[in-house]
Amino acid sequence: MQLTETGNQSYFDKNKAREKTCAVWLKAQGKAVRKPILFAAIAGITNGLGVIVQSATLAYILQAVIIDQLPWASLITLFIVLAAVFILRSVCVYLYQIWGFEAGAQVRTSVRQQLFGQFLVLGPAAVKQRQSGELAAVTLEQVDALENYFSRYLPQQMIVGVLPLIMISVVMPVNWVVGLIFLVTGPLVPVFMALVGMGAASANRSQFLAMARMSGYFLDRLQGLSTLKLFGQATQELANIDKIADGFREKTMAVLRIAFLSSAILEFFSAVAVALVAVYVGLGLLGQIYFGPAEHISLSEALFVLLLAPEFFMPLRQLAINYHDRAAALGASDAILTILEQDAEVLEADDNGVGCADEGGASFANDALRTSAAPYGDKINLIDFNKISKSYGKRQVLTDINLHIATGEKIALIGESGAGKTTLLNLLLGFESPTEGRVLLNGQTVNRECAAKAIAWVGQNAYIFHGTIKDNIALADPDAPEQNIIDAAQAAGVAEFSAQLPEGLLTPIGERGYGLSGGQVQRIALARAFLKNADIILLDEPTANLDAANKTLLLDVIDQLFIDKTLIIASHDPEVIHRMDRRIKMQQGRLV
Amino acid sequence: MKDLWFFLKLFKPHSAWLAGGISLSLLTALASIALLTLSGWFISASAIAGLVAIDGNTLAFNFMLPAAQIRALAISRTLGRYGERVVTHEATFRVLAGIRSWFFRELIPLVPGRLSAMRSGDLLSHMTADIDALDALYLRLLAPAVVAVIGVTAVTVFLAFYAPVIGLATGLMLLIASVWVPWVFNRLGRAGAEEIVVLAANFRIRQLDMIQGLADLIANQAYGRFSDKLGQFSDLMINTQRRNNRLSAISSAFTLLLSQLTLLMALMLAAISFKDGLLSGADSALVVFCVIAAFELVTPLPQAMQMLAKTRKAARRIRQVTEMSPTAPQPNQPLALPGSYDLQLNEVSFRYSDQQGRVLKNISLTIPQGSKVAIVGPSGSGKTTLLQLIMRYYDPEQGSVLLGGQNVRQLDADEFMSCFGVLSQRSQLFAATIKENLLIAKPDASATELDIAVKIAGLEKFIGYLPEGLDTWVGESGVKVSGGEARRIALARLYLKDAPVLILDEPTEGLDSDTERDVFKALVNFAGDKTVVMVTHREAGLGLVDVVYGMERGVLQAF
Repeated sequence: MQLTETGNQSYFDKNKAREKTCAVWLKAQGKAVRKPILFAAIAGITNGLGVIVQSATLAYILQAVIIDQLPWASLITLFIVLAAVFILRSVCVYLYQIWGFEAGAQVRTSVRQQLFGQFLVLGPAAVKQRQSGELAAVTLEQVDALENYFSRYLPQQMIVGVLPLIMISVVMPVNWVVGLIFLVTGPLVPVFMALVGMGAASANRSQFLAMARMSGYFLDRLQGLSTLKLFGQATQELANIDKIADGFREKTMAVLRIAFLSSAILEFFSAVAVALVAVYVGLGLLGQIYFGPAEHISLSEALFVLLLAPEFFMPLRQLAINYHDRAAALGASDAILTILEQDAEVLEADDNGVGCADEGGASFANDALRTSAAPYGDKINLIDFNKISKSYGKRQVLTDINLHIATGEKIALIGESGAGKTTLLNLLLGFESPTEGRVLLNGQTVNRECAAKAIAWVGQNAYIFHGTIKDNIALADPDAPEQNIIDAAQAAGVAEFSAQLPEGLLTPIGERGYGLSGGQVQRIALARAFLKNADIILLDEPTANLDAANKTLLLDVIDQLFIDKTLIIASHDPEVIHRMDRRIKMQQGRLV
Repeated sequence: MKDLWFFLKLFKPHSAWLAGGISLSLLTALASIALLTLSGWFISASAIAGLVAIDGNTLAFNFMLPAAQIRALAISRTLGRYGERVVTHEATFRVLAGIRSWFFRELIPLVPGRLSAMRSGDLLSHMTADIDALDALYLRLLAPAVVAVIGVTAVTVFLAFYAPVIGLATGLMLLIASVWVPWVFNRLGRAGAEEIVVLAANFRIRQLDMIQGLADLIANQAYGRFSDKLGQFSDLMINTQRRNNRLSAISSAFTLLLSQLTLLMALMLAAISFKDGLLSGADSALVVFCVIAAFELVTPLPQAMQMLAKTRKAARRIRQVTEMSPTAPQPNQPLALPGSYDLQLNEVSFRYSDQQGRVLKNISLTIPQGSKVAIVGPSGSGKTTLLQLIMRYYDPEQGSVLLGGQNVRQLDADEFMSCFGVLSQRSQLFAATIKENLLIAKPDASATELDIAVKIAGLEKFIGYLPEGLDTWVGESGVKVSGGEARRIALARLYLKDAPVLILDEPTEGLDSDTERDVFKALVNFAGDKTVVMVTHREAGLGLVDVVYGMERGVLQAF
């Protein structure tokens, strides 16, 4: 199979505005965690002050020993100061890391919650457009990639704004030439870094994209590995995997080569500053230079400025390392924002905007309440499709559907595959919204929440979750009484095969547990519907995967259990169709 | 450690990159230490020489050489650092790419027999996250460790040359900082790091559950509950990370304290040596500055050791998968395919695992080449398992499966697979264009062949609707195409592959009667003189076959 590349690189190069959007979003996320960021910065700055005191003390001791040759006793205080500074600095290093982590952790938790909320808003139809491996990588890796921006980059940015200024103001009175060297080389650094960093950010985004695509690609190919093998293509696919991995490496290296350039520039300035300071004060001490305060320099002053020279660049160097974190966070936020900004299939709110929170709606799921308090009385559960059309881009799936269903009707929905049956059911469930027209459930424009309360739905490809059979049946109502679950399992024929499993209904299933056949999956899904006390039952091909005997058995149960419900079954099976009162036939998106 | 050692061996093809990276790291680290040490010595020597000069003596100090050396060191440190970063990362990614394709290759013999029972989310986690975690092995573990060992030795020897006591004491402290501290924190952090890998894998599985089962969750009002649970998983992960972070913060603080203590000690010892006349003034400064710089060597090590646990866990998980034995091992000396495609099962019995009962019981069946056979029976009676034994997804527990009189265990697996065309309930579509999905069956198919396949499978109308035609992308597992359309694509593949034996496993399940009719019409068309083995519980399609067998509870009987 060929590899289809998506040209996102050019998209990012053109789109500077996108980068800005991401940066703004990141900043907004940071607002909630200002406090821990500030604390981390204070710890870092205090550590820097400790470095200044330590360097001064060290320089003074060396001068006292080597040049002045003072007695031991006079140095004891200095040694104690030195030891105290050591302890202070260690504590600061600890606190810096602790507070920083909290900032990142809080942001990650909140972003994950935002994403979970968004998946719900988008709904199954929109989410299915994306590869699930890709989406899972967003909530896990991409969100984790935000951590260091908040825990390291933002505190470090504050430190860089303060500490170098303090150091210059300390060095100036000691030796203004060295102060000047700091002053000149210092500000150059952020300028270069910004130049280098801009390229790094956009390159980084494409790296993250490459990584997410690679995850999706691998999941897809792994899921289909047995098919590939059947066609003798597994070994050939290996070449594509290699190609993807190579592409990933090249993209990553393109990012890193740039990112490392910014740290190399800093390295250069830092090394040059040390060399300049060393040569200047050295020659001054020798009396070979007469510029500035060179002639009056003492050894302690000379050593002090030499020790401070690398430390002056330390915060900047750290920021350069963390600049990569910023680029990584920008890349991740692009992927996250793509999901958060995706337009949901906006379902028009009903005029009163209430949905099902009001009494009438709440009574949907509750028979007792309905009879006593429902304002809609007996006419509840009327389903109306009013002039519904639906198209995906240019492809028209449903055209001008008008359909009314009364409470208690038993309906067979028929038509060849692709005729639009599933789309019709999706509209009723609120998974998708019509391009034109309105779907009314009980007189109100349908929305997902209402639909979920009123309708029990068994789709064609019911999904089995990681858990026990019992968990999977009790999906709608985890607190359902044990007996109800057993009854539902019995009615749907789950008990028949679960009895043969070692742990019965408590047997773990899903891909990892015992493999289930298509028919068994369907029976579990049916048991879900039996357990859920809903007024409308939607069944999509409930008898597929069943043999004749089991089919009749199941249909009898359906007739019996759903006798007072509104039942809609999409099916091709003559036996099913025969049992229903009303037939609705669809052809190429129209009712016939 | 055995697991890590195994992966180190996989590094071999990239050893030039790996060694290059380590050499550059070492060069940079030593240049950095030398720069500060030389500068400290130069200043102190200058100060002393300056004093002497002021006293009126001639200036007997060649300052040109050290000044030039300082500049050279500054430049080489800069270049070295950049080169080191680029080369070590390049090396890491090359190694990782190699491991990825190695992993995929290892998986090939394990499907579909061994791996069908595993969650794809779990596998994905192996493929990307676990393998990525292995980058720490070189970048954060091997490289810093080698640099630290050589660097610490060099510094110790260098210092001992000036003042043996200081050299030994510093060497000892560096040893504690580079070996003992990381070892202790590694022990403390191991559980947490391993926990993270497991928690992340669990989170991913549930996340995939949530996305793939979104419709069922919403329709059952279970989304809120599910996302809360996922939020709890996230909290669990973050809590574990918090504990790990605290450990790493303590180890950073501790390493700093250790380096400062060493400095204090070196300072005092240098002062004493100077007083005793064992060390000149300039050399005292040199020693102190060297100690300050030397601790750069060991700062990355404690965190590296914490990574070790995580890396080891990831390595173990990868190997757990790759070391599974295939359910149908490739023979040592595979035989060529026999001339005929007669299929024969001799008293075959099978069970999936020792804990489970027999799925097939003593089945004997002969299917001569070109004959057309159907097996009917209730779901769960073992029909599909029988097909899987014929295609050698599994080997029988007892009895044997023969192709053209040859035991299939002795045939080359790839060649053997080329005998079968399969149409089943599940049509696997790849995230690719429709055309690419068809080309899987025959990569060198011409445009005409594709056209014929499309026509035969009844895909013409569907593809006609699509603006991009055959180049339309079908999403994950083919979400944008209906079940019927997916089956037709599978049918087109079946035609393109043109295999002598057709295996039909409920080929029209879930299809409407029109599509079902189309599918069988197409099958009758190109079944021709091919062998057909069909499993079904429907009556439709039985016109395609000559012989019908019944199957119940793993026992086969003539119908």
